[in-house]
Amino acid sequence: MTDEPFKRLMCLGCGFSYDEALGLPEHGIAPGTRWADIPADWVCPDCGTPKHLFEMIVVGYAPGGPDLARTA
Amino acid sequence: MSQSFIIRNEERGHDLIKSDGSRSSYIAGHPDGFVTRASSFNFHEYQGGRPGFGTIRVFGDEVFHGAGCGYNMHPHHNFAICAFVFGGQLTHVNTAGEGMVDQLRAGDYYVFSAGSGGKHSELSITTEDMQAIYLWVLPEQLYLPPSYHRGHFDFRRRRNELVQLVGNADGALPIPQDLRVSRLIADKGRTFRYAPRTLGHGTYVFVREGRIGCSGTELGHRDSMGLSSVDGFDIEIIDDDSDILIVETVMIDEANIRTWESEHAGH
Repeated sequence: MTDEPFKRLMCLGCGFSYDEALGLPEHGIAPGTRWADIPADWVCPDCGTPKHLFEMIVVGYAPGGPDLARTA
Repeated sequence: MSQSFIIRNEERGHDLIKSDGSRSSYIAGHPDGFVTRASSFNFHEYQGGRPGFGTIRVFGDEVFHGAGCGYNMHPHHNFAICAFVFGGQLTHVNTAGEGMVDQLRAGDYYVFSAGSGGKHSELSITTEDMQAIYLWVLPEQLYLPPSYHRGHFDFRRRRNELVQLVGNADGALPIPQDLRVSRLIADKGRTFRYAPRTLGHGTYVFVREGRIGCSGTELGHRDSMGLSSVDGFDIEIIDDDSDILIVETVMIDEANIRTWESEHAGH
């Protein structure tokens, strides 16, 4: 385990976000999965934008946002 | 320390996307419809330019060619997407709220904040090509409730006046970000001073029609310029009927993002 803080990323094709802390259980990615550990051929489930075109973002959640992000 | 960059018309990314093959699920109007898109910043296939400016991530100058052409129904999250229509008619089907169908013509514009998720389709259903500028903005918070607002710029009554279309001025459409979009249609010989809210706000100036001097730099048809860390600058109108869009955005921590991108190069 690393002490590095979890990161949050956003798809520049459509705005889909990936939060390392939350993972994407609906898409088979467990909470706590680091971005680096997601396969290079992974693409945005909404728009198909490839992993390398995601951008790291430093944006907070709206109230209730983390719950919505889990089921996005 | 003031900073600026210039993007000339021909330096933008140019895409022509036909509604054929696998693209026909993305672009409507199969078999002969097509969309042309000139991107000021990196977007989809175009990755040869700047990643964005402040909270602006997409500034696309688009034309839907042929009746029935546009974008089929597709999802978004989080981005606040604005469209400013300059010609033809844009039929916009959007799931925000209870869902609705909107039709926009020259001067009309919308702000769609996708927030926790929404889908939309955008179509040109008349024989006239639809011309619009699309602006995508990072939101202030993730997973906000989706919202849709529309407005109209009255270019006959508001000539020679800097008019705020999106932002926090009276009559402007709200957007969940520290950002303002203004439009100016003016006669030659006039000069307008634009002052961003603070030195921490950058300003992107796009000349849709005409020719201007922007902070001393001449900008022609579809040229643009970004200025940051300045407390104000002059826009001198060189050609009659110059039509300018001005986007003022809070500057976010670009350095942080660039560091991360270089560390993760190749991923």
